[in-house]
Amino acid sequence: MNFLVTLNNLRFRRDGFSLLIDHLELESGKVYLLQGPNGAGKSTLLHLLGLLLHPDQGELCFAGHVVNGKADRQRLRRQITLVEQNPYLFDTSVYQNLAFGLRLRDVRGDLQRRRISQALRAVDLEGFENRRAQALSGGESRRVALARALVLRPQLLLLDEPTAGLDRETLPVFERCLAELPGQGTTVVIAGHDSDQSRRLGGMVIKLDQGKLVPESGEPAPQLKETF
Amino acid sequence: MAYLLDSFQHALRLIFAFDPEVFRTVWTSLYTSLTAILLATVSGVPIGVAVGLLRFPGRRVVLTLLNTLLALPTVVVGLVLFGFFSRQGPLGPLGLLFTPWAMIAGQIVLSTPIVANYTVSAVTGADPRILPTAQTLGAGRFLGTCQLLLEVRFGVMAALVAGFGRVIAEVGVAMMLGGNIRGYTRTMTTAIALETSKGEFAFGLALGIVLLGVALFINMFLHILQQR
Repeated sequence: MNFLVTLNNLRFRRDGFSLLIDHLELESGKVYLLQGPNGAGKSTLLHLLGLLLHPDQGELCFAGHVVNGKADRQRLRRQITLVEQNPYLFDTSVYQNLAFGLRLRDVRGDLQRRRISQALRAVDLEGFENRRAQALSGGESRRVALARALVLRPQLLLLDEPTAGLDRETLPVFERCLAELPGQGTTVVIAGHDSDQSRRLGGMVIKLDQGKLVPESGEPAPQLKETF
Repeated sequence: MAYLLDSFQHALRLIFAFDPEVFRTVWTSLYTSLTAILLATVSGVPIGVAVGLLRFPGRRVVLTLLNTLLALPTVVVGLVLFGFFSRQGPLGPLGLLFTPWAMIAGQIVLSTPIVANYTVSAVTGADPRILPTAQTLGAGRFLGTCQLLLEVRFGVMAALVAGFGRVIAEVGVAMMLGGNIRGYTRTMTTAIALETSKGEFAFGLALGIVLLGVALFINMFLHILQQR
């Protein structure tokens, strides 16, 4: 099987909270739903997967590469994108928000314009290029944040409660975009509480409680349950 | 009252007749102050960013020191640097005393704490999501910080304007380190002091009007930028 991410004996401790992952494997081109109560460690795990936090112990392999050292993390992080629950849009145009990550990946000129246009079309925001990002409505802002992640075509897309509080118009746009990603080879990990979402997106559930993976009854680790 | 009105009319005539003496003095003031603020930006902004973002032992002491330096008397700066630049001083061989560069050095010392303090305020008051957002899109610490500075650009510009306001209006450093040499180190403030003491009130008034005009122009410029 083609695993994009493998975690082994991962330990992370901060401010009295501990996250302990004995073993977890994420396949390429799959959708995973990370579920659990508030404070279970979902966001922490997303940040660890996004190489934004560094484990105290254990091994994290990304694309067959053991992540080791700052330069390694910095290089591999460009293949991963995290969309936060309450995303921040830079105080500039929608176009410049999307261009930020592309410039870091040296995507410029016509290719840059084309990819931004495609990403905005995917979230139904065609023609929004020159709009001021911070003047958009809540739903539009969330869609721009998703487009800003999609435009980078990451191997691993992490979303922290992406559909929490979304309006009826925006939710289907989000789920349509996310459902298309596995076909493009992107692995998607969504943290959230919506158990129906796993069914709608045809994903696998990873349950987390008090910083530990919760084994499904009778099943050994890695505690993944197909929901379709 | 007639004396004041006559002087005012004479001052306006000097300005609108483009009196070379007036404009040479204005030019000396502008180029020394602009050079000083440019160089103070190079030192003050990184100091402000470092103190604003990093948590290190002694940070509070540095903050207190920066705040104290805001009230640095210009004559004290002039006096200390005079010691350094005078013939017997450690920098005497450079022959900088009574040159515009000595004035610029003094003005850098005066304006760096202002630029640093304003930058600390801008950075600490910025949205805490800016840096993590830049990192999730692939930026490292340095590029993330550059993006943060872009987001707080009006705060940084306010820092530069405040610093410029301080150095263009100061007398102590310009007088002690520049020596008020006509056509070389004579600035608006030193010329106002000298000409008024010689009884040339109208000439001093003309320079005072220009000085106010410069302050007004800079503030309007900042205001227009903030409106955008």
